[in-house]
Amino acid sequence: MSIGELINGSLQAYIAVSFLLFVVGLSIVLMRRSLLVQFMGVELMLNATNLALLAFAKWRGGDVSGTVLYILIIAVAACEAAVGLALIIGLFRRLGSTDTDGADALRR
Amino acid sequence: MFLAFALITLGAAFALFMQRNAVQAGLCMMLSFFGVAGLFLLLSNPVAAALQVIIYSGAITILVLFVVMLLQSHQEEPAARPGLVQKILSAVLVAVLALGAIKLVFSSSALANMPLEPPNKELMTLHKLGEQLFSEHIVALEAVGLLLLSAMVAAVILVKKEAQ
Repeated sequence: MSIGELINGSLQAYIAVSFLLFVVGLSIVLMRRSLLVQFMGVELMLNATNLALLAFAKWRGGDVSGTVLYILIIAVAACEAAVGLALIIGLFRRLGSTDTDGADALRR
Repeated sequence: MFLAFALITLGAAFALFMQRNAVQAGLCMMLSFFGVAGLFLLLSNPVAAALQVIIYSGAITILVLFVVMLLQSHQEEPAARPGLVQKILSAVLVAVLALGAIKLVFSSSALANMPLEPPNKELMTLHKLGEQLFSEHIVALEAVGLLLLSAMVAAVILVKKEAQ
């Protein structure tokens, strides 16, 4: 892989960026304790998959189905955001914090 | 250009990881979404880039920041238990995953055999997208509409105050 490819973006470079974004999102979900920040990590992971999807669609000759799928993923992500934030608010009402360490009822 | 947007995306994501303040973390997330929108533009897909800016950088970031300010939980609380083992295990797992993924991408012969330049430089237009969405994928569109409605009802029920 040459420097020029890296600067202009080959398919490999797009997929690598997508993987790295996914891994950063995963590390946020695993290593941070604030539920809200973990939620942001989940959004980053969703974006990483969208990036890979659209890159592959582009290299398949500008496939329109890729963008259609992207729109459907956005709709599902919006549902996830609404329900996820409602759950966070519900948990905050019960525990008085958004720290995941407090949510250990299933362990006791 | 690709390198610039990729660095913005990954740098903002990493800043989100390091950020202690939830509001500033939300702003880092917004920057990361803008970087992804730029990458979509480079993929000659302005429709997806516009949707990304409107929905992710706009709506979802505002929603998250609204909840952060509503709950007044700007700072992460200090850990009740140290949980050092868990942290090290997570870091090792993440590092192995990252290295494995990068190695997989750059050693994959299928990816390497793809042409360097995309075969078709045509822009994605709303016209093409709408035609496809409302002919071939009409059932999926209706299903997503139902899903959005049920998610809205679910969110309202979840945050509703218990009946006295």
